[in-house]
Amino acid sequence: MESTLNEPVLGGAVPAPAVPPGAAPAKDTDEPRRGGSWPRYIGAKAGGAAVSLVMVVLLGFFAFRILPGDPVRSLADGRQVTPEQMDILRRQYGLDQPLPAQFWRYLTDLFQGKLGDSYTYNRPVMELILDRIGPTLLLTGTAAALSVVLGLWLGQRAAWRRGSSFDKTQTGLALVFWSVPTFWLGLLMLLVFAGGLHWFPTGGMVTAGVQATGLGYAWDVARHMVLPVLTMVAVVYAQYLMVMRASLLEEMSSDYLVTARAKGLREDEVRRKHAVPNALLPTVTLIFLTLGGLVGGAVTVETVFSWPGLGYLTFQALSAPDFPLLQGTFVVFSSIVILMNFFADIVYRLLDPRLRAS
Amino acid sequence: MTPTRTATVPAPPTGSPAPLGRTLGTTRAGVRLPALLAAAVVALAPAVMSVPAATASGAPAGSTLKLALTGDIDSLNPFKAILASSTGILALQYQSLVAYGPKNNEDVPSMADTWETSTDGKVWTFHLPSDRKWSDGKPITAQDGAWTFKAIQTNDQLKQANGSLLSSVESVEAKDAETLVITLKAPQAPNPGTQLPIMPEHVWSKVGDPATFTNDKDSVGSGPFTVTSYDKAAGVTMKSNPYYWQGKAKIDGITYAPYKNSDAAVQALKTGEVDLISGLTPAQFKALQNQPGITTNAGTGRRYQAVGINPGTQTPDNTPIGDGSPALHDVELRRAIVMAIDNKTLLDKVLQGLGQEATGEVPLAYPQYNWDTTDLPLKYNPQGANELLDKAGYTKGADGIRLDKAGNPLKLRLMGRNTDPTHQQMADYIKPWLKEVGIDVTTVMKSSAQVNDDSVVGNYDLYFTGWGMGPDPDFQLSINTCASRPNADGTGATSENNYCSPEFDALFKQQHEELDQAKRSALVKQGQEMIYNAAVNNVMYYANTLEAYRSDKFQPFVTQPEVGGVITGQNGPWGYYSATPVGMAAGSGTDQASAGFDPAAVIVPAVVVLALAAGGFVLYRRRSATAGDRE
Repeated sequence: MESTLNEPVLGGAVPAPAVPPGAAPAKDTDEPRRGGSWPRYIGAKAGGAAVSLVMVVLLGFFAFRILPGDPVRSLADGRQVTPEQMDILRRQYGLDQPLPAQFWRYLTDLFQGKLGDSYTYNRPVMELILDRIGPTLLLTGTAAALSVVLGLWLGQRAAWRRGSSFDKTQTGLALVFWSVPTFWLGLLMLLVFAGGLHWFPTGGMVTAGVQATGLGYAWDVARHMVLPVLTMVAVVYAQYLMVMRASLLEEMSSDYLVTARAKGLREDEVRRKHAVPNALLPTVTLIFLTLGGLVGGAVTVETVFSWPGLGYLTFQALSAPDFPLLQGTFVVFSSIVILMNFFADIVYRLLDPRLRAS
Repeated sequence: MTPTRTATVPAPPTGSPAPLGRTLGTTRAGVRLPALLAAAVVALAPAVMSVPAATASGAPAGSTLKLALTGDIDSLNPFKAILASSTGILALQYQSLVAYGPKNNEDVPSMADTWETSTDGKVWTFHLPSDRKWSDGKPITAQDGAWTFKAIQTNDQLKQANGSLLSSVESVEAKDAETLVITLKAPQAPNPGTQLPIMPEHVWSKVGDPATFTNDKDSVGSGPFTVTSYDKAAGVTMKSNPYYWQGKAKIDGITYAPYKNSDAAVQALKTGEVDLISGLTPAQFKALQNQPGITTNAGTGRRYQAVGINPGTQTPDNTPIGDGSPALHDVELRRAIVMAIDNKTLLDKVLQGLGQEATGEVPLAYPQYNWDTTDLPLKYNPQGANELLDKAGYTKGADGIRLDKAGNPLKLRLMGRNTDPTHQQMADYIKPWLKEVGIDVTTVMKSSAQVNDDSVVGNYDLYFTGWGMGPDPDFQLSINTCASRPNADGTGATSENNYCSPEFDALFKQQHEELDQAKRSALVKQGQEMIYNAAVNNVMYYANTLEAYRSDKFQPFVTQPEVGGVITGQNGPWGYYSATPVGMAAGSGTDQASAGFDPAAVIVPAVVVLALAAGGFVLYRRRSATAGDRE
C-alpha cells in the first residue's frame, strides 16, 4: 500500500515530509525538480506581497481622504481659533495644496522612508509608530504564543478523545470565550481581578511615576501584562483549538495509524509521533494568517487596559482625523498581515511536499 | 494500555508547539516535566515575590498626588499643545501675566501683581515684582513676556496653540525688567494678560527650533509644578516648584497615570492606584458616591448643551448654503420647537440630574456673565407651542403632522454625534415631543468629524451642539456675529449657529470695548437674550463636571468657583496646588496593593517558567527522538 510506503518517512530527516495517504502521487519524490522550483516559488509569492503592499500604499492615501471631516476644523473643535490661525495650520499640513500635489508629497516622503508628520502629535509618524509598536508586539506576541500552545494542545487532546467529557467541556468553553465580546471580557477581568480582588493593576504597562529598572521593571511590566494577555488568549485560542481538533479527527481515520498501532506503538506515541504532526499542517497556515490580524485586534484590549500600543494610537488618529498617522498605521498593520501571509506560504510549502511538486 | 495523562491543570505543560513534522517526545519526558515545573515554580516564586515590595516602597506614600490621565497628550510644548490634557498640565507649569482667581474666575495677580489700562483702553501696562523666580532659580523679567509674545507674532509655526490670543495685539515691549507694555489695535475689555502662558526666555531662546522642542523633561516653569519626565507608558511626573511665588505646594509632586478608558480609571481610584479622577459618567459617579474613603464632587460645568436650529445658513456675503429646511427660516416655528422641548426632563433623565437648568450660553460657573433669569419666555409649554403654530398658519394634516407654508408636511432631521451616548438618549425624548406639536422628526447619529462638517456649512435642520467656555465671554459672543459665518466650502470663520443680526453685532462691539465690569456684564446678558429670542440655539442644561478623590488620603481641594466649583480643569492651578495629604500615615492604597499575598507573584513566574521549560522540553525531545526512532 502507498500509505505503508510513506509511513517510515514520518520519523525521518528535516524537513519532514508528512504525507497523508492516498493523496500524493509517486512523482513527488523528484529531488532536483523540487529544489529548482524554490526560488521561483518564493519569487512569485514575494511579487504578490509586493503588489499588495503597493496597493496598500495607494489605498492608504485615498481611502482616508474619503473620510468626512476637515482635519483642521476637527483640531480646532471647541477652541478659540481665528480663521487666520486655521489657514496657517492648513498651510503647515499642506492641506491647502490640491490632492495630486499632496499625493506626490506622500509618495516622495515614502521613498525616503518618511510617513509624514502627525497633525495631532506634531511629531513624525514613523517616530510615533516605532514608539508604540514595541508594547503592541510584546502584548500580542505573548498572547499569540500562549494561545497557539493552549489551543493546539487542547485541540489535539479533545480530538483524540472525541465525545468524551473533556472534549465537550473544552470545545464548549473555548467557543463561549470566542463568542464573548473582547471589551466585555476585558472589563469583567478588570472589575474582578483588578478592582475587586486587587490582584493586578488596573491598566497601563508600568506603574506610573515609579522609575524601576532591571528585574524590578520586568516584574512591573509582567504584572501589568497578565490581564490583557489573558483576555486576548481567552478570545483567540478557540480557533486554534477547533482547527487542530478538526484536522486531527480527519487524520484519525487514516490507514497509516493502523500501521503504526500494528507496529506495536503505544496509543500515546501513535498520537504524538504520527497523527499530530500531520494534523498540524492546516493549523500552521492558520496561525500565520491570524498572527497578522492579532496586531490589529489588539485595539480593543489596548483600550480596555490602557496599553500604550498602536491600537489606541490608531483610534485617536481616526477620530481626529489625522491623515498621516492613519496612513502610517494602516501601512504598518497591512504590511504585517502581508508579511505573515508570505511566511504562511513559505512554511506551508516547507511542510507539505505536495506543494513543492506543483 | 496507554498511560493516560489527564489534564487536571488547564495550562499546557507539554503542549509546546511541536517541531513540525518531527517525531514528538516520549511519555517519560511528559511525566517528568510537570514535577520539574512545580519544583521550579515553588523554588522561584518567593525570590520573585520580594521584587514588588522593593519597587513599591521606593516612593514615599501620600506626598504625591496621583491623577488618572484619561485624555491623550499631543505635546508638552505650550506653543503646540491643544488637547485638554496637555493644556491642563501646562497650566500648572506656566503662568500668565494675570490669572483667573479660584473664588469667581476674577482677574488676580500672577506673574504681574498690578496692571493698569490707558484712558483710551489701548495700552495695558503690567508690573512684574523683581523677586519672582523661575523654577531653576533665575529671575522672572518683563523680557520673558516680551519674548513669548514676539515669538508667536513672528513665527507661524508657534501660532498653533495660542495664536488667536494675539490677534488684537499691536506690539509688546519690555520697558525694563519689571514693566511690560502691551499695545492693542483697538480697545477691548478682556485683559490681554490672561490666558497666554509666558515662557522663560533663557531656556527657549537657546533651543534651536521652539516649534519642535518637546519640552518634556526637567522643564523650567513658573507655576506650582513643573514636568520632570513624560513617557507614554509611565505617564507624566511633575515636581513642586520651590520658587513658586505663593509658596511651595504641600505635596512633593503630581503623577499622571495614563488610562485610555474611564472604567479602568474608576477601578484604579477604588484600589488606590490613583487619588483623583475627573470626567466621570453619571453612572460611574453614582456608583462611587457611597464608597468608603472616596468623596465625589459634582462641580459646576463650563459647558452648555443645546439643540442648534438652522435658521438658514449663509456665507458672509449672504449667499445661502446648506440643505436646511426652508420652513425653519420662520422664527415662530423655531420658537415653537424650543417650547416643545422639555429641558428639565432631559437634565433629570439623561444626565440623572447632575447639572443645572440653563438660560443662555454662559454657564453658571461664570456668575458675572450668566443670564440669571427665572422667567424664560420660551420655557417648556407644548400647549403654547401648538397654539403658536396654529396662529402662524401651520395647519395639521390628517396624520397629525402640520403642513409648512408651501403645503408640505413638516419633516425635520435631528443630527447628533455617535460618540456621545447622551445624544441618542435625548433624541429618543425629543422625537415624540415634537410629534406632539405636529412636527415629524427623523434622527441620525454621525461621526464627530461628519457633524463638524455638516453643521458648519448648514447641512442640518436640528443638531446637538455645545461649547466649553473660558472665563471671558468675548469669544463665545463673537461666534454669533455676522462676520463669523463660514465660506461656502466650510473654510473661514466658525459660527455658533449661523446667527446674523446687525443689532447683535452692535451690541457685541459695545461689550467688547466696555471697561466697566457692571455695564459689560449687563451687555453680555443682553446679548444672550437676543440669541435666545431668535430661537437658533435651545440651550438645555449645563452638565456638571463629575469628579471623585481619595478623601482618606487628601483633604478637600480648593474648587473654582469657591462654591460648587470644580477641582480639575480649572482656569488656573488652584485645585492641585491646594492638595494636602491627610496626616503622614496616609497612602494606604499602595500599601494595600503590595502587602500580603500577591497571586501575580505566583502566576507571572509560573508563566515564565513554563515558557522556559517548554523550550528545554523541545531540546530534550529532540535528543530522545533519535533514541525512540531506533526502536
